[in-house]
Formats: sequence, C-alpha cells, structure tokens
Amino acid sequence: MRKNLRFVWLLIKCKFTRMMMYRADFFHAFVNDGILFAVQLLAFSAIYSQVDSIGDWSYGQMIIFVGTFSAVNALNMLIYFFGIVDIPGKIKRGDLDLYLTKPVSPLLRLTFESVNVGSLPLVAMSALIVRYGASAANVDVSLPLGLGYAALVLLMTLLWYDMEIILRSIPFLVITANGIMRVEGEIIGLNFKVPGALYKGFFKILFYFLLPYGIMATIPTQFLTRSVSPAGIAAAVLTVAAFTAFALWFWKFGLRHYKSASS
Amino acid sequence: MSRIIQTKGLTKTYRRFKKEAGLKGSVKSLFKRQFVSKTAVSDFDLAMEAGEFVGLIGPNGAGKTTLVKMLTGIIAPTSGEISVLGYCPNKLENAFKKQYAVVMGQKSQLIYDMTAADTFLLFKEMYEIPDAAYRRNLEMFIGLFGAGEYLNTQARTLSLGERMKMELVAALLHNPKVLFLDEPTIGLDAPAQRQIRAFLKEVNSLNGTTILLTSHYMDDIRSLCPRSVVLSGGRKIYDGRTDALFASYQTHKKVTAQFESETAFAAPPGCTLLESDSHKAVFMVPKEESGAVLERTMREYRLKDISVEEEDVGAVVEKIYQSRGGAGQCGAGQGEAGESETGQGETGQGGAGI
Repeated sequence: MRKNLRFVWLLIKCKFTRMMMYRADFFHAFVNDGILFAVQLLAFSAIYSQVDSIGDWSYGQMIIFVGTFSAVNALNMLIYFFGIVDIPGKIKRGDLDLYLTKPVSPLLRLTFESVNVGSLPLVAMSALIVRYGASAANVDVSLPLGLGYAALVLLMTLLWYDMEIILRSIPFLVITANGIMRVEGEIIGLNFKVPGALYKGFFKILFYFLLPYGIMATIPTQFLTRSVSPAGIAAAVLTVAAFTAFALWFWKFGLRHYKSASS
Repeated sequence: MSRIIQTKGLTKTYRRFKKEAGLKGSVKSLFKRQFVSKTAVSDFDLAMEAGEFVGLIGPNGAGKTTLVKMLTGIIAPTSGEISVLGYCPNKLENAFKKQYAVVMGQKSQLIYDMTAADTFLLFKEMYEIPDAAYRRNLEMFIGLFGAGEYLNTQARTLSLGERMKMELVAALLHNPKVLFLDEPTIGLDAPAQRQIRAFLKEVNSLNGTTILLTSHYMDDIRSLCPRSVVLSGGRKIYDGRTDALFASYQTHKKVTAQFESETAFAAPPGCTLLESDSHKAVFMVPKEESGAVLERTMREYRLKDISVEEEDVGAVVEKIYQSRGGAGQCGAGQGEAGESETGQGETGQGGAGI
C-alpha cells in the first residue's frame, strides 16, 4: 500500500514535470478547463432558468444536482480520465505491452499517470455551485452533513471510474468498441440533465442498477437535501462496491485475453 | 549452470477475421463470419541456462516476437508449458517482473515528454532500486555507452540510435537476470549497431545476464550469440552453435557488379547468375571462392561499383529446409505461419509443417 502511494505520488510529480516541459500547456490547462466549465454553466442556466422545479425537485435541489454532477465529472478529469480514456487505443495498438512488463499494477499506473490539474478550478467552481444550491434550497450544511456529502461524491467518482474501466475493457474481447464509447457519452449527457429520481420503470432499473449513471449525482444531492433514506444510501454504497469488484475482475479477465498487436 | 528458461510444446494460435473484398463481402460477413486460425508459434521447445546469450533468428512473421511476448507474460500461450526463472510468466507476478527486462526495438519505454533521467527515476521507484545500486548502475551503463550527454535531453528529441542506448540503460538499471531483446538494432546505422553489440557483449560478460536476442540481422547474431535458434513459420528448425549454422548454411555471398559501359557479363565458373543486364550483374559466389572471383571480376571488367553481401536470413532458412528434404516452402511466403479456415465461431489449429 505504502509503495503504491509512493508510486502514485511519483506519477503525479512526473505529470507535472511533463506539463512544465511545455510552459504554455502548464498555464493554459487551468484556463482551458475554467472556460469549459463556464460554458457548461451557461448551458444549464439556459435550460433551468425557465422552470422552478422538475417533478418534486425544487430549483435549489436542481442546482445542487448540477453542481454535484460537475464535481464528479471534474474529479474524474482531475484524477484518472486522461490516463484511462485511451485504454481501447492502447489495446488496439499493443501499447499495453510495456505496462504489463513493469512490476507495478498496469491499471494503477494508467489511472494516475495523467492527472490533470487544469480541472482543479472546475472542482472549486462545482463546490461553489453546490454551496449556492444549498442556500437556494434552504439547506443548513452542518459539518457531518458536508463530510457525508463529500464522501458520497468521492464514492460516486469511484463508480464513474468503474464504469469507464468496464467499458474500456470490452476491446480486450472485441475488435472495436467505438460504438459503446459513443453510447457512454450520450448516457452521461442525459444523466447530466435528468436526476435519476425522475426515472420510472425500466429506465429506473437501467440507470440505477445496470448503467448506474442515474445515481451518481442524485444520491449525494438527496443526501445533502435530506431526502434519501438510510436504505437508499446503503443500496448506493453496495452498488459501488459491486461495480468496483466487477470492474477489477473484468479488467483482469480482459488482460488474460490481451492479444497485443504484431510489431 | 541453472535452467533459466524452459518451454515444452509451446503453441500460440491467433484467430483472425476474414472477409471478401468489397461491399458484398462486408454484407456477407455481417451474417456469416469467417475466421482463420494463424499459428504464430507451434510446438516450440527451448531450454536456456544462466548466462547464455542466445540468438533467435527468423524472417518476418516467423514467430520471434510472439515467442518473446509469451516468455515475458504479455500474452498467454494457447497450449504448452512455459517457465521463466521458475515463474509462469502470464501470471504477471511482480516478483517475476523485477527479475527480467525487455527491450522492443519498435516500442519505447521512455516517456517521450520527459528526459531519460526522469524516466530512470520513475523506474527506480517501480523496481525499488536502492539509491547506491541505482547510482552505480547508471554510472556504469552510461559510461559503457559514453551517453552522458543524452541523460538530460527530452526523449522525443533523441535520434533512434541515442534513444535505443537509453532504452537499454533503462532496462538494465534493476540488474535483471534475464534480458529479452526484440530487434534492438532495427533501423540503426552501422556505427550505432556496432556500439550496441559491444555494449550487450559487455553486459553479458560483466553481469552474467542471460540474454535472448531476436534479430533478422545476421551480423547481430554472429557477433554476439554462441548459440542460435532458427524459427520459420512458427516452428524451430535449428538449435545449435551459431558458427556451425553459418558454416553449414551461409555458404555463399551475393555480389553486385555495376559496369562503366555496356558489358556482356558471363558468370564465373561455380557462380550462379541471379540478375543481369548491360550495365549490371548480380551473382552468388561460394564463400571460399569469393576472393578469387572478385579479383578476377575486377581484372576482367571495367567496374563502376561492386558490393558484396552475406546471404540473408531467408536464404539460410531455405537451406535448412533443403538439408532436411523440404522443398519450395521458403519462398515468398516463408514468413507466414500456418493458416487454416474455420467456420463461424470456431478456432482451428493451423500448422506450417516442415
């Protein structure tokens, strides 16, 4: 464990070293993601400024939901997204060869080798939006409530990671999975706009248990607004545990079927 | 000496999708998909002792890289037994990975945006190399190459030869017991090839590192490896002393003569004319007669240029086949391993056969 933590810290330092090789990249990374976030905010303002509530979700809850989804997305981009996004390409090109021959977990290395500090402002701005949403929803955020919410956001970031690993391990078994990646993008886009609590029937099962993007921002939001039962939280935690176990198993299963590429 | 590498009946079969050309073929393949099985390595036995330097020779597609990938655990064999340093490579245990290194001529382990020195520090952490050992090894290997000036240069700006030197240093920092080298001199110019050969010779004799070198450059094998294994179509067709291999099978030299003016060239006795026109002739000459034939050619013809080449790996493989009573199997498709067609969803077993 200590060795892994030391290794992760070194990967982060390496990433900084690489960024600083290109001075423009280093400074622009902060600016670029900030601009992306501003564009996202404008889009959401346009959508939600016309309504006070959707279903039984108030305007304040909706703002928390948007901020929460942004926070999970920003943490995803900050920590692991740029490391794991090209796993299908690495499988296709045989670039995993040299990861597999090094005495550290290939997944650990991929996960942390491309941290993106440019997403830090996005995390901070997401937190501000959540704070604003909480005040609009008249929620008094105590320390335990805030810590519980933060823990759930981190848990949902892990769930997002699990889904990305599962989908990006499929190319170990098939020739191409470009279509699956496109579907993933569409599903994330949909769940960025619609809280999971508003789904009914089949879609509820789909987005809560099979492709659980529906709970990623919904559960932390409901926790902060005290509108989820302990059983609901327990179910979410169990879902994350199950998907984490499956993602790790599926990654290892995929590695056993890695064909590399001819040189 | 102790056994470092042992394989028995090692086989790797790939399943490949096949379709007819054009739109019609694409539509047909949507409903009835056909696969071919390609046997990249077939029934391969190998035993290597500690400290050995073995050359793995074969034309493109012979199965050399596939074999290295199985020995390093990158891919799993389809069948057969495999043991490297007492480990099953495909279990990918870190204790195993710390004891070997692999350098692939066409894949870089250096991080392109960083300097070689920064990548070495990352490897130091990965392999948990103690400070003193790291400093000693770095100094020794950089000294052997005289490559100190490249240490603090961004990897992407290094030339191919400079990069390969840094790749080798990176691979050796943790004192691996076994070093797998897959075409390390590919694309390098002659001086860089010579430097790398000298380096590898030194590493093998100084550290006793067991080395398996794949190459289709005969000079690499001849100057480095006392023992050679020849692969063709995924099968082992020779395993023995390198000098005996070259003495038995590399029996001719190829001479290309270019003439200053129109010339009617007649092949010297004992030589085989491969190609000829009014300004150029290409012929094979038995090795032991090459000196005399060259002298005679230069005396009798007005030459613009003349070059002499060793027989390439393809010709050597062809001769091994011929010596075993095989015929016509090493022509244009000599590098291709066996292919067999299978129906939908089936996996067949192909074989090159010799």
